[in-house]
Amino acid sequence: MLDLRHSAIARKLTWMNVLVSGTALLSACLAFFAYDQYTFREDLIRSLAAQAQIIGSNSVSAILFNDPQSADNTLSALRNQPDIIAAGILTLDGRVFAHYSRSPGGGFAWNPRETANQTYDFRSNELLVRQPIIFKGGQVGTVFIRSDLNERTRRLERYGAIAVAVLLLSLLAALAVSSAFRRLVATPIVDLAETARIVSEENNYSIRATPTGGHDEVAVLIHAFNNMLAQIQERDRELQQAHDELEARVDERTRQLMAANRELEAFSYSVSHDLRGPLEIINGFSHILLVDHGRELDDYARDCVQQINAATRRMSELIDDLLNLSRVGSTTMHRESVDLTSMARTVADQLCRREPSRRVDFVIHDCPPVEGDARLLQIALENLLRNSWKYTSHHQQARIEFGCEQRRGRIVYFVRDDGAGFDPRLVDRLFKPFQRLHATSEFVGTGIGLATVQRIIARHNGEIWAEGAVEKGATFYFSIG
Amino acid sequence: MSAADRCKLNTYSSSGGIGIVGKRLAALTALLSLLLALPDTTAQTRPTQFDVEAAYLLNFGKFVNWPQNSAQPGAFTICVFGDDPFGPMLERTIAGEKLEGHPVTGKRIEDPQEASGCSILYIHASEATRVARVLAQVQGRPVLTVSDMPNFLDHGGIIQFVMVGDRVRFEVNLQPTNQDGLMLSSELLKVAVKVRGAKTGQ
Repeated sequence: MLDLRHSAIARKLTWMNVLVSGTALLSACLAFFAYDQYTFREDLIRSLAAQAQIIGSNSVSAILFNDPQSADNTLSALRNQPDIIAAGILTLDGRVFAHYSRSPGGGFAWNPRETANQTYDFRSNELLVRQPIIFKGGQVGTVFIRSDLNERTRRLERYGAIAVAVLLLSLLAALAVSSAFRRLVATPIVDLAETARIVSEENNYSIRATPTGGHDEVAVLIHAFNNMLAQIQERDRELQQAHDELEARVDERTRQLMAANRELEAFSYSVSHDLRGPLEIINGFSHILLVDHGRELDDYARDCVQQINAATRRMSELIDDLLNLSRVGSTTMHRESVDLTSMARTVADQLCRREPSRRVDFVIHDCPPVEGDARLLQIALENLLRNSWKYTSHHQQARIEFGCEQRRGRIVYFVRDDGAGFDPRLVDRLFKPFQRLHATSEFVGTGIGLATVQRIIARHNGEIWAEGAVEKGATFYFSIG
Repeated sequence: MSAADRCKLNTYSSSGGIGIVGKRLAALTALLSLLLALPDTTAQTRPTQFDVEAAYLLNFGKFVNWPQNSAQPGAFTICVFGDDPFGPMLERTIAGEKLEGHPVTGKRIEDPQEASGCSILYIHASEATRVARVLAQVQGRPVLTVSDMPNFLDHGGIIQFVMVGDRVRFEVNLQPTNQDGLMLSSELLKVAVKVRGAKTGQ
C-alpha cells in the first residue's frame, strides 16, 4: 500500500483528489446499485405478474372452449422473453392445459393446490409467479411463469462497466484538478522546501524564496521564511563584525604580549649574563685567597671562603639554568635527526666521572633517533638525567634507566630512577619554574630544570608527564611531536 | 458438553442443504402426483360430447356483448329446441351461474314461436326441417343460435358445433349478428375453427 507520509506533497494532493473523488463515486455507485437491485425485484414481480395476467386473459376462451392449441400459441409469445424459463396454464382441476418452456424438456415445479391467489416465490436464482385467471368474476385457471434472474446479472455487469468508466473518467478529472492544485498549492511549497534545503545545505542566507503573490497561508509562510532569513543574515553580519573586532583585539594584545615577553627574556638574559662577570670575579678572588693565603688563614676564615666558593658555584649554576630557560623561548629551532641514546650515554659518563664514588647503575637502551633541535634536546636530556642523579644521591645503590616504548602508535622516551620520588598529588607543580617539592637543604637545586625541559618538549610539539611515589622513584616520560 | 460435541452439533445444525433438497423433493413429488393424477381424473369423469356442449352454451354467453334490452327482465334463458341431448346436465352446468349479472335458466321449447324469448337457442340436429322457421322467428333479435346440425351456418345460424377428432369445436357465422345487435368477442372467434362473414379489409 502507498505510504503517503514519505511522498512529495504534490503526490499527496493528487492521491487525495483521486481518493476523495473515487470514494465519493464508489459510494454513489454502490448506493445506486443497491437501489437498483431492490427495485429490480419489485419491477420483475410486477412485470411477470402483468405478463401472467395478459396471458391469462388471452387464454380464457381457450380454457373455456378446451382449445390448448390457442393457449399454446398465446404462451409461445414468451419466446421473446429470454429470461422466462417456463410458463404454463393450469385448469381449475389442476390439469396442465398448456405450457411453454425455453429449452426442450424444461419442466414445472409448482403445487397445483396453491392456485387461489396471486403469489410469487423468489428462489436463489429464479422467480416463480402464480397468477389466477379471473373471468367474469370467477377463476377459470392459473398461469405460472418461471423466470431466471439473468437480467439482474446483466444489470450488475452493465452497472459495473458504467462504474468503471465513470471512475476512470473521474480519475482523469482528479488528475487534471490536482495538477491545477499543484500549481496553486504544491509548487510554492515545493519551491519553499527547495530554498530551505539550499539554505541549510550551503549555509547561504542571502537567497530568498519566490513570493507567490497570493494572500494564503503559503504566502504568509514564504514571507515569514524570507523575514527569518533576513534576520539571520543581519545577525550573522553583526556576529561576524563582533568576531572581527575581537580577533583584531586579540591580535593586538598578542603582539603586545609577545613584545613584553621578548623584552623580559632579553632583560633576564642580559641580567644573567651581566651577573656572570662579578660572580667570576668573586669566584676568582676567593679561589686566590684560598690557594695563595690559605696557610695564613685560620680554620674559621678558610671555612668562610669555602662557603663563598660553594655559593658562587651554585649561583653560577642558577645563572646557567636561567640562561637556558630564556634561550629555550627565544632561539630558533634547527630540526635534524638526533640520537638520544648516545646523548644519554655521554651525559651518564659525565655524571659518573664527576662523582665516581657513587654506586649508580645506568641502563641505557637503544632507541630510534628523533627529529628535533639537538642543542635543546641535549639540555632537556641533561636536565632529566641530572635530576635522577640528584634524587638518587641519598641511596647507597641506585639505578637510572633511559629507554623508549611504543604507546598508542608513537614512541615515548623515558628516564626512570629508584630515588626519592615524589608525592603524586603534587605532580602538577613538578614542571612549574621555581616550584620545588623538596627542601634545598635536602636536595640542592634551582627549581628551573624541569620547567626548562617542559618548554623544550612543548617547542617540539611533544608531551611530558611524570609518574612516581615517595621513596619509590620517579619516571619521566616524553614524546616528540 | 465437550468442544468436540459442540462442534459436531454445529455441523449438523448448519446443514441447510437438506432443507432445500427436501423442498425439491416435495415439488417433485407434487409434480409426479400431478402427472399420475392426470390420466386418472380424465378416465373417471370423461365428459360426453353433450356435457361439453352444455358447458359451451353457457360459455358462449360469456363472450357475447349483449345489447342492453336483449334479455327478458331478470333472466338469461338457454333454450333447447327439439330433442334434448343434455338431460339434467344443462341445469347442472348453469346452476348458480350468471350472465351480465342475471341468473341463467334453462328451457325446452317445441314451438318455434317461443324462440324469440330466448337468449341462447340450441337447435337439435334432428330439427332440420324446422330450422328455417325457427331462425326466421329470431331474425333481427339478439338471440345466439347454436346447433350441431350440418350446414347450420348456411341456414343463417350463428354457431355450429363440429367434431375435430374427439374434441368438440365450433364454427362461427357473423352474418346474422350484423342485424340482431349481438357482438361476439374476438376471444371467442380466436378459438373458433372457422369464422364466416367477418368484415375484412379494415
